Amino acid sequence: MELLEYAIVGGILYGVFFSLVGIGLNLIFGVMRIINLAHGQFIVLGGYVAWLVSRHFGFNPLWSIPLSVAGAIVVGWPLYAAVVPRLQRSDDPEMLSFILFFGIGQMIEALTGMAFGADQRSLPSEALGSGNIGVLGQQFPDSWWIAAAVSVSCILALYGYFSHTRLGYATRAIMADRDEALATGISVDRVSAIAFVAGLALAGIAGMFVPYLLGSVSPDLGGELTTTSFAIVIIGSLGNPLGTVIGGLVFGLGTMLMQTYYSSWSNVVPYALLLIIVLIRPSGLLGKEARHA
Amino acid sequence: MPDDSLLHKLRPGALVLALLAAGFLLLPHMYGNQSLLFTLMTFIVLTQGLNLLYGFTGYLPFGYVGFFGCGAYATSLLVLHAHLPVLACVAGGGLAAVLMALVLGPLLRLSGAYFSIASLAASQILYFVVSNTNLADITGGPYGLKIERVFAPDASYLAMLAVLLLTSGLAAYFRSSRFGMELRAMKQDPTSAAMAGIDVVRERLIVWLVSALVAGLAGGVYAWNLSVFYPDAVFTLQISVFAIVFALFGGVGTVIGPIVGAAVLYTLYSAIGISSPQYFQLIYGALIVLLVLFLPGGILSLFTRRGIRVF
Amino acid sequence: MSSEAQALLRLSGVRKHFGGLVVLNDVGFSVAPGEIVGLVGPNGSGKTTAINVISGLFRADAGLVSFAGQDINRLPMFRRAQLGINRSFQVPKVFRDMTVRENIEVAAHCGSKRNTDVDAILDDLDLAALAEKPAGSLTVNQQKLLDLGRALATGPKLLLVDEIGAGLNPAELNGIAALLQNLAARGIALIVVEHLLDFLNRITARVIVLGAGRMLFEGSLDAASRDPEVVAAFFGS
Repeated sequence: MELLEYAIVGGILYGVFFSLVGIGLNLIFGVMRIINLAHGQFIVLGGYVAWLVSRHFGFNPLWSIPLSVAGAIVVGWPLYAAVVPRLQRSDDPEMLSFILFFGIGQMIEALTGMAFGADQRSLPSEALGSGNIGVLGQQFPDSWWIAAAVSVSCILALYGYFSHTRLGYATRAIMADRDEALATGISVDRVSAIAFVAGLALAGIAGMFVPYLLGSVSPDLGGELTTTSFAIVIIGSLGNPLGTVIGGLVFGLGTMLMQTYYSSWSNVVPYALLLIIVLIRPSGLLGKEARHA
Repeated sequence: MPDDSLLHKLRPGALVLALLAAGFLLLPHMYGNQSLLFTLMTFIVLTQGLNLLYGFTGYLPFGYVGFFGCGAYATSLLVLHAHLPVLACVAGGGLAAVLMALVLGPLLRLSGAYFSIASLAASQILYFVVSNTNLADITGGPYGLKIERVFAPDASYLAMLAVLLLTSGLAAYFRSSRFGMELRAMKQDPTSAAMAGIDVVRERLIVWLVSALVAGLAGGVYAWNLSVFYPDAVFTLQISVFAIVFALFGGVGTVIGPIVGAAVLYTLYSAIGISSPQYFQLIYGALIVLLVLFLPGGILSLFTRRGIRVF
Repeated sequence: MSSEAQALLRLSGVRKHFGGLVVLNDVGFSVAPGEIVGLVGPNGSGKTTAINVISGLFRADAGLVSFAGQDINRLPMFRRAQLGINRSFQVPKVFRDMTVRENIEVAAHCGSKRNTDVDAILDDLDLAALAEKPAGSLTVNQQKLLDLGRALATGPKLLLVDEIGAGLNPAELNGIAALLQNLAARGIALIVVEHLLDFLNRITARVIVLGAGRMLFEGSLDAASRDPEVVAAFFGS
């Protein structure tokens, strides 16, 4: 019973954080039908920003959050302009973006490797409070709670953007039907660029907590983070950013339960979940029925 | 004018096979590093095998390495436990990969990126199962397998050459046969192809099994050549990644594109990639971006654009 | 109308829904060899869905779809094509990177008749001069013809023609009308979905009117235009 409670509380915290890990990938896909296969590498970049901020300059790693947002704008805006409109004019944007962003991911991985070396980097645990917070008698480090709190804040902010701002309405309109949104005069390009930058910023913010929740950050972590994000996003249904929360929780609980009871098999969880979900229900748990003309 | 005589159809394929055979038989005498040539052949096989599926059906298997690893392990386990001749064990490795592809057949119902990611997930699961310490009694777990009893670098070199010729022959068949024409039609428009009377599901499955077979055979011969290996050596995603990059670089859907792509880039890799892998990773990452944006048909499309027919 | 005994295609009680939306509801009719039947109705009335259910792109949820006396509702598309059912598409679906000739050849080799004369089909459709051009370089109207040619190359007994007339000029329409009549004279049964009623009136003796997935009327086009239910469906109630 102790163990089960531990796994459930931990799984929820872990899962909430992983919703944040996946949500940027889903936002970009939902708005642009572009698969950002470099997603995991952008998360890793966020992790290194946090590492620089805290180990190199001695500030609290939370300062990396605004830095990641700024970095997402500086990198994301020109990247969007350079590749996304071009991809969307092609015959098969989904597959081509998949391959192209795979290339970008490899470049980022190579560059982070050159800049920071191949070693695993961790962050000072006391920076986010060295204590534990207990729920139902289960103790988890402060950093886990902060990660979950930041994740919930980001998701709520995204939800608020969607439901309370003009740009958010426009974003949802594009997700529902791009052509119709174009026809009604929505500035699809501008809204898409914002969503693209936001997707990268969310990845960067998630990256800050990777050293805490996964123990460390290293250049080669990107691929695994991308596939995990993909699994989470597909569980919650591709193109539905808020479904990602469900995906994150399923993944978090699944991983924690496996780690508790069959720890040597826990690394199979995201891949097995992904396979099962795509084969049973390719549109994800929350997906709509396939539309027909 | 289309000339349908058999000889005319067979000629380009036969030429490619003859050049490959002559090249890889002569090269060891001119260039001493046979193990590097062996690895080059392995990558040509994998690039061509991936091209069979991606180039002719449009399904890009990120987890292609899973079949390679599957073949390596099945071959080694047969060597250890079945006491069959090595070549029979290699054939068993190919068969194991085909069986794995049959089990994973439902993945073909998925399209585009879903298929790519799902195949990657499948190969990762296979890797985690094989390398799991709980199964160390059977698979060696993280410590891998040793079959040094059958170690034979020259014989395995020739065996890989045979697999290379088989794979290239298959690509030539796909390129010039009616079956290949049906594949091209399916790739462009599956609905229309079905309405033309083509059994799209069955033909796609056949290509999937064939491409798994060559990867399995290559894995078997590779294990034989190494004779001692860790699970990582035959399941690392790097192998899939290389095959994809090499194929895209040369030009998919052709016979010589993957051969050229793998030969050029693997040579580059062996020159700079082994000592400083990050530079090579940066180069091929940039290459992918540039190819997708400017040259989606690979370097061979530089010729086709000028009206030169490429086999 | 046509006697059940000689029907090539027979639908009865066919129903198709997507989620909660019923697209075909209790549709039933039959078509005899050599007959041209028009399928008309406002947008969204289920015409193309009916074609899709007959050609196998969708499977009917309920009811019977039989061809030459055989229940075909569970057969995949390629089997139906091999049995002799074929179609053209509203938006032509050609193999863009293959030549015009290859487009026809693929279908000729895999269809029901193995000895199809590819050149004769190219001539019939006035595409002979373009035979070695990539199909993607053709105009939309030429692609429509090629789409039809791909269907003909399989040697169909039943041909479903989905809005081939849209965008054609009167001379081209005349050519198509003559071609379709010629096909019917060879014994091929045709179902023609069309908005151009003049064109339909010229080539069909019988039309079926669909409205919101239901069959509203079956008979001559003249009689249909006097039917109050049909008029209401077309012009709104």
